[in-house]
Amino acid sequence: MSAASHAHDDHDDHAHGGHGKDHVPHVLPLAVYLGTFATLLFLTAITVGASYVNFGAWNLILAMVIATVKAATVALIFMHLWFDHKFHSIIIGSSVLFLTIFITFTMFDTENRGRAEAIEGEKPADIRNPFKASERQADMMRNMGPISSATADVARPSPPAPASAAATASAAPVPSATVAPSASVSAAPSGSTSATPAPSASVAPSASASAKKP
Amino acid sequence: MAQAVADSPIPEQSGTNYINAQKGILSWLLTVDHKRIGLMYLASTIIAFALGGFFALMLRLELLTPKRTIMDAATYNQAFTLHGAVMVFLFIIPAVPGAIGNFVLPIMLGAKDVAFPKLNLLSLYLYWTGALFTLSSLVTGGLDTGWTFYVPYSATTGGAVVKVTLGVFILGFSSILTGLNFIVTVHKLRAPGVSWFRLPLLVWALYATSVVQILATPVLGITLVLLMMERVLHIGIFDPALGGDPVLFQHFFWFYSHPAVYIMILPGMGIISEIISVHAKRRIFGYKAIAFSSMAIALIGFLVWGHHMFVAGQSHMAATIFSFLTFLVAIPSGVKVFNWLLTLWRGSIKYTTPMLFALSFMFLFTIGGLTGLFCGMLSVDMHIHDTYFVVAHFHYVMMGGTVIAFVGGLHHWWPKMTGKMYGEKLGALSCALVFIGFNATFFTQFILGSRGMPRRYYNYLDQFQPLHQFSTVGSWVIGLGFIVMAYNLLASLTSGARAPANPWGGKSLEWQTASPPITENFEVTPKVTHGPYDFSPEHQ
Amino acid sequence: MSTAETTAESGKETELSPQFHVAHHFDSADTQFDAGRMGIWLFLVTEVLLFGGLFCAFAIFRSWYFDSFVEAHHHLDKVMGGINTVVLISSSLTMALAVRSAQQSKKELTAILLAITLACAFAFLCIKYVEYSHKFHEGLLPGKYFSAEGFHTKHPGVFFAIYFMMTGIHGVHVVIGMCLITWILRRTMRGEFSSRYYAPVEGVGLYWHLVDLIWIYLFPLLYLVG
Repeated sequence: MSAASHAHDDHDDHAHGGHGKDHVPHVLPLAVYLGTFATLLFLTAITVGASYVNFGAWNLILAMVIATVKAATVALIFMHLWFDHKFHSIIIGSSVLFLTIFITFTMFDTENRGRAEAIEGEKPADIRNPFKASERQADMMRNMGPISSATADVARPSPPAPASAAATASAAPVPSATVAPSASVSAAPSGSTSATPAPSASVAPSASASAKKP
Repeated sequence: MAQAVADSPIPEQSGTNYINAQKGILSWLLTVDHKRIGLMYLASTIIAFALGGFFALMLRLELLTPKRTIMDAATYNQAFTLHGAVMVFLFIIPAVPGAIGNFVLPIMLGAKDVAFPKLNLLSLYLYWTGALFTLSSLVTGGLDTGWTFYVPYSATTGGAVVKVTLGVFILGFSSILTGLNFIVTVHKLRAPGVSWFRLPLLVWALYATSVVQILATPVLGITLVLLMMERVLHIGIFDPALGGDPVLFQHFFWFYSHPAVYIMILPGMGIISEIISVHAKRRIFGYKAIAFSSMAIALIGFLVWGHHMFVAGQSHMAATIFSFLTFLVAIPSGVKVFNWLLTLWRGSIKYTTPMLFALSFMFLFTIGGLTGLFCGMLSVDMHIHDTYFVVAHFHYVMMGGTVIAFVGGLHHWWPKMTGKMYGEKLGALSCALVFIGFNATFFTQFILGSRGMPRRYYNYLDQFQPLHQFSTVGSWVIGLGFIVMAYNLLASLTSGARAPANPWGGKSLEWQTASPPITENFEVTPKVTHGPYDFSPEHQ
Repeated sequence: MSTAETTAESGKETELSPQFHVAHHFDSADTQFDAGRMGIWLFLVTEVLLFGGLFCAFAIFRSWYFDSFVEAHHHLDKVMGGINTVVLISSSLTMALAVRSAQQSKKELTAILLAITLACAFAFLCIKYVEYSHKFHEGLLPGKYFSAEGFHTKHPGVFFAIYFMMTGIHGVHVVIGMCLITWILRRTMRGEFSSRYYAPVEGVGLYWHLVDLIWIYLFPLLYLVG
């Protein structure tokens, strides 16, 4: 591609630079722009058409793949990324990378709330062998499995209890009574019953008034 | 950076420099000179620091006795909020990049200015605007949410939440523009011969900082917009009654604010690298390791934000992952500390004021960093979360780290900025006072926290009083130290000795031009042939 | 405006972009040009991450309230959204062509293409206005103000909160883009741009394409799959 000839990655090698020397633009043929435009319209038509067919879980994936192809086309041709310094691609690529990190790591939390809390309130059955689950724990873990079936509703109330003071108030005694800043309390599973004493002194910033043990 | 032009003598204090080149207030307000903008940032951030420090002293005074000492509980809440908000958003984030970075970064590159001088001025004006909005809360209702603005409290409390969030939003823009400017400057304006591995380590640190500013700050922007919408229009994204999730706010907030911790500390680490090498006359040990550890800290800093939320109701899986990743930060931080130590080893150490601050930094930052591991460990954090232990930890890193590095750097580049030498004796005295006072104030708080004293409390149990009193007395010693420092620096402006171009024998480019520099920084664009820490005899 | 036009008519410069000079701190016009473009790309990163927060919220709430999102998204008008997509893609084309004609020093063509881009942006906002007023009328509003009847799922207000935040902030960007396009249109008519100097046209172009890029994701996410 002409990218290599046009791009010069370090300003040290400005053989053609220097004062008085003008910038020479890299002009693309008109057909490239019109072709890109046609491609974008075509892909828009496909994605709209596909929305009338139900692919189940693939709906989202298909739509996102098409959108990404469209976005890449705009970026590479209209925004000249293909012909530009490679570093500019790295710059914009990093935004996508860090956005992915942001969404993925946040979803590590939001997709897994309440899964472990179901058993954390249980005391170890045998203090000398803490990792041997009590019968009740073993029973619950068997039922938990991957998030599926009706038991998921026990472990993960639906909607999956966004940690809220309101949610806890209705729940059984809070297993871990550690109070978080500004009145958000550990999402208490409605399934758990026996409560251990709070593991540590409850701690709250003075600003939070609403979080109280039920 | 020892230069090919070394045989031509450095111009000593020719008649004009950037300070006296133009006269009048407008020549400052409309300047695009990075040095003048840096000085204005310096003055502004130091005023903010004084204000935040005043709040801090008032807080400590209030805590001298349980219950009321000098203010009521509501005022106390506003005071700790403003102490945090002013120190974080108005001082520590903009201070090192805005003041010291603006002044020395282009000179270190051998450039005449930053890439976008007008944008640089704009970010200063945005800083002032944001500061105005933030501080206007002082007179219009106050703010008592803590600097973190956690919902649901911030969505329901009275006061100036919208105004302050708007202010912080604008400050975010200022921070982004500075970062953007620095990245482009480092890429495009390096003088001939200044390759990437001949950049002073402060430049690497500022570059890493800028990357974080660009990537993290926009998320703070959207967070604050959503918070404003939540307050004004009740859109319900953070409101559980409407299906929203308050913990999501914390994810949003800490996705910015944890990396922002590295916005605060990274430039400080860069300053320490400069000071240690120059004042020990020793080539920095492990240049590339320090440079890459800056980048590593910037990147790992994006993967650990959930450690602020261990008890906030996030899932155990997320908490476990975040706890594990948090420990990774210790690796590049450790690399830096050991490299600084090895730089000192067999160096010809001069106990100048900047060096004293750098040594304080290494002591305090190490304590702050190691206690960070306590806080990052899930099981331990359950006990110390939101106690004075955490307060002490982040003050050791933020104040013992960044502030000490900042004032160290201020003394280091003071002769270059002003053309005057400050008094070494008073400098050493102020450093000693701050160091002693700091440890008295905050080491006590580790003990308080580990015994269960919760942070942000107005009242406390009687058994904590002796430690609280000790801590308060320590805060007075810190205050005294800063007063001595301010007197020393200000007095040097009128009665200080004239500074030579290179008072410390540094090798990087800012020492190869006059003190203070001319508006264009260099008479001739320098050509660089050596690294910035080349203290070997043939280049003396 | 009239002064700009007279300048444009009388402006038969022999030299291209006579007012342009390389700033003193750059070593060449190319360096200055590249620096500007790198700055714009870095700015676009911040824009992506600004919207990123909303994409994150969308992902989480869609996963939590999947049924509600599916139900709510049927209340958005696919046809209007589709037309708006075509309008924005067209404006992206004319913007790209405007940059191209500026590179070729074709002043009149650049001005015409920028004007068409502006018109497309305006059309986009008009269609958006029709959509919004429809939603307001039916009570399909965020959070507390949601008052539409006949929903079978919980918390449909969350979908509309995200819908209004995403399209609202996108709309603000369209308005800002229109201001910027007007600004470079004026400068084009004054004859400031040519193959020697067209950095502002390209910069605004990059911004405008990003606005288009965001919409390319918003449209399928909100209107098509919900």
